[in-house]
Amino acid sequence: MNDMLITLALAIVILPLSAYFIQTIVGDRLPRQGDWLSTGAIFGSFLCALRIFAEMWSQFRPDWVVQKTWVWMDLSTLNIPWKLEVGVRLDNISATMLLMVTLCATLIHLFSTGYMRDHHGKPEDGYRYTSFFSYLSLFTAAMLGLVISDNFFTLFMAWEVMGLCSYLLIGFYRHKPSAANASLKAFMTTRVGDLGLFLGLLAMFAILKSFRFDDVYAGINSGAFANETIIGVSAAFFIGLGIFIGTVGKSAQFPLQIWLPDAMEGPTPVSALIHAATMVSAGIYLIIRIFPMLEYGGVLPIVAYIGGFTCFFAAILAIKQYDIKKVLAYSTLSQLGYMVLALGVGAYSVGFFHLITHAVFKACLFMASGAVIYAMHHEQDMRHMGGLKKKLPITFTCMLITTMAISGVPGFSGFASKDLILGNVLGYAHLHPEHYLLVFFAFATAAMTAFYMFRLIFMTFWGHPHDHHHYDEAHEVSWNMWLPLAVLAALSFCVVYTGSITGLGFDKIFGSANEWILKLNPAPHVEGMESSRHALEEAAHHVHTPTMIISILVAGCGILFSYLVYGSKKISAAKLESLWPNFVKKAIDNLYYFDWFYIKVVIQKLFLPFSAQNAKFDDAVIDRVAVDGWKDVTMLGQKASGIFDDMVVDGVMVDGVGGTLPTMLGTSLRSLQNGKVQRYLMVAVVALMLLFLFRGVV
Amino acid sequence: MAGLATHLPAYLIFSLVLFSFGLVAALARRSAIGIFMGVELMLNGAALNFVAFQALRKGVIANDNWLHGHIFSLFIIILAAIEAAVALAIVLRVFGTRQTIDADRSDELRG
Repeated sequence: MNDMLITLALAIVILPLSAYFIQTIVGDRLPRQGDWLSTGAIFGSFLCALRIFAEMWSQFRPDWVVQKTWVWMDLSTLNIPWKLEVGVRLDNISATMLLMVTLCATLIHLFSTGYMRDHHGKPEDGYRYTSFFSYLSLFTAAMLGLVISDNFFTLFMAWEVMGLCSYLLIGFYRHKPSAANASLKAFMTTRVGDLGLFLGLLAMFAILKSFRFDDVYAGINSGAFANETIIGVSAAFFIGLGIFIGTVGKSAQFPLQIWLPDAMEGPTPVSALIHAATMVSAGIYLIIRIFPMLEYGGVLPIVAYIGGFTCFFAAILAIKQYDIKKVLAYSTLSQLGYMVLALGVGAYSVGFFHLITHAVFKACLFMASGAVIYAMHHEQDMRHMGGLKKKLPITFTCMLITTMAISGVPGFSGFASKDLILGNVLGYAHLHPEHYLLVFFAFATAAMTAFYMFRLIFMTFWGHPHDHHHYDEAHEVSWNMWLPLAVLAALSFCVVYTGSITGLGFDKIFGSANEWILKLNPAPHVEGMESSRHALEEAAHHVHTPTMIISILVAGCGILFSYLVYGSKKISAAKLESLWPNFVKKAIDNLYYFDWFYIKVVIQKLFLPFSAQNAKFDDAVIDRVAVDGWKDVTMLGQKASGIFDDMVVDGVMVDGVGGTLPTMLGTSLRSLQNGKVQRYLMVAVVALMLLFLFRGVV
Repeated sequence: MAGLATHLPAYLIFSLVLFSFGLVAALARRSAIGIFMGVELMLNGAALNFVAFQALRKGVIANDNWLHGHIFSLFIIILAAIEAAVALAIVLRVFGTRQTIDADRSDELRG
């Protein structure tokens, strides 16, 4: 049984991976340029994931785990105690993740067959349709490989492959300079985070001699990190912070969030894939895996504040965006901030819950926006849209459902998960009153999320069309584009996750909530931290009712306000905007000067002078002294050896021993060989006589 | 047979003279025929030596059937005959190609 599950888990990765290779090699010669191959492969993975999930479901216990480990490298035969083990681990988290990732990826693949249709069958386009699907497959395979890993080593490998794929896909429209720059930016920015992750993992391996999750958890329990310090801080803190920096890069948290809005340059299905199923989820998944280390090393407050900052400030940015995809991009930032915040306050399962619900509704939102963009002939500015609800009824319905989910309307999945996050943050603030700022961040973000998401709905689907040309041509998208939306929208209802229709899942009013996802996913067991977890649980439970009331209130206020401004236009948006202080407006327009700071200060003032100095050093020392100096030394040596060659080898050895000596010998001996028979006879006689004469001597 | 033993030095001296004449002729004559004749003289000198010592042995040891000296000199005579045939043929060939039998002129093998 377990072997079968392991095989299935491997198949989940291998299917899209082989689809990638086949697509790369022969993709452009397949019928339909092989889009069915990638889609079919990921659908196969989905079926495998479904089987694994069913197995997990039938067991339904927190400590369910199936794992298998192989030895990859073993140096113990060389008497070096160094062994690298990699393997597959299936537990509640990875089984749920696998199902979510494969489901979203399958639907995104299906959606892409419609959305990328324009690129189909155009060799002059460089067979981009084929390569698009091959990249999608590789991206998904990497994410799935990350999820089934039982160790940080293969996790890191898959992590880096994903970085590469994000680069390829964000820069898919490579002839556009903005896309090329965005892909580079995404790659480089996540590299900064990867450096932290890499250092953290190396430090961990140095102490633990293992990358496996189980060994890490056991190491924390047994105090393997207790007395270790790295550059003055405790090892657990160093490792936890390093790995968290990896998350900050990958999940686009403050202050490395700059790449994610630019990543909107990629095709919309890619945005859906990056924002929902793969890339940014990987960062959250990583914190979930390393959670005990963050807890043990005391990194959690940092995590919480970075999450809080990100969710709050990204939400403000989302309010001012007019590009439909940028709104969603900032909302992703904000929602990821929520997850990080939840994990930071210690609400481990809740963060994971939000990861899953968010992935589902954000994938739908992105694809719906993609459908709108597709229907509007690649118009992305919301100011040119409007009134589309009649033209795109299915897309509109799906988008409305998922918008309600992300805004936290009761009955939708986002309500359940966000409500739990808010409750846990409030509970945390009760336990630690000095952290009340986080509560403000969380609730303000909830209100703003409702506001800007409904702003998007009102601007896009309500009111009157602003661009009649595009509007008249717009029509509902084909089935392969709306079906994924419908499936994901159906999964955005609360009942899927909590078993209660409204999602107001507390015992007193609506009966018992069956929040299976929370019951399945407790944190890895770490001794000595149970009490603080229990305390948080108690506190969160204690404030559950006020949280729910406040969260419904703030979401309702946000939606109402949004309706007044953008729906009924009772309040003028321009007038409202003039109320903002000038410096805030400027800060928002400049995205809080992060790009300015990185380009002007970090890159131009720090890196460029540093590289200039490096270049000078390179010129003066490496080139002049080392390279040229070494050249001079070798030239001298060559000259000396040339002289030696001329004089000794050529002069003495070749000419002397090889030339003059044989010539002398030859000229002296050749007179013997004069061809005169009598002289030979004479020599023989004389020699014979000498022999007789000196026979005593010889 | 003591007479032969007492006269042995005379035989040996004669054979030595014969050999020396032959050697001088072989070394000094310019004509190939002369050289050939010198070689013949040397061979005969050596053969005389063999016969002389065989005779000495006959006189000293009674009933001796040792015949090596005689047989050796017979072989020398046969050898000389063969040599005469071969050498004269060579000389004829040499004369045929270069119209001379001067040994110093036939020095193509010089180094």
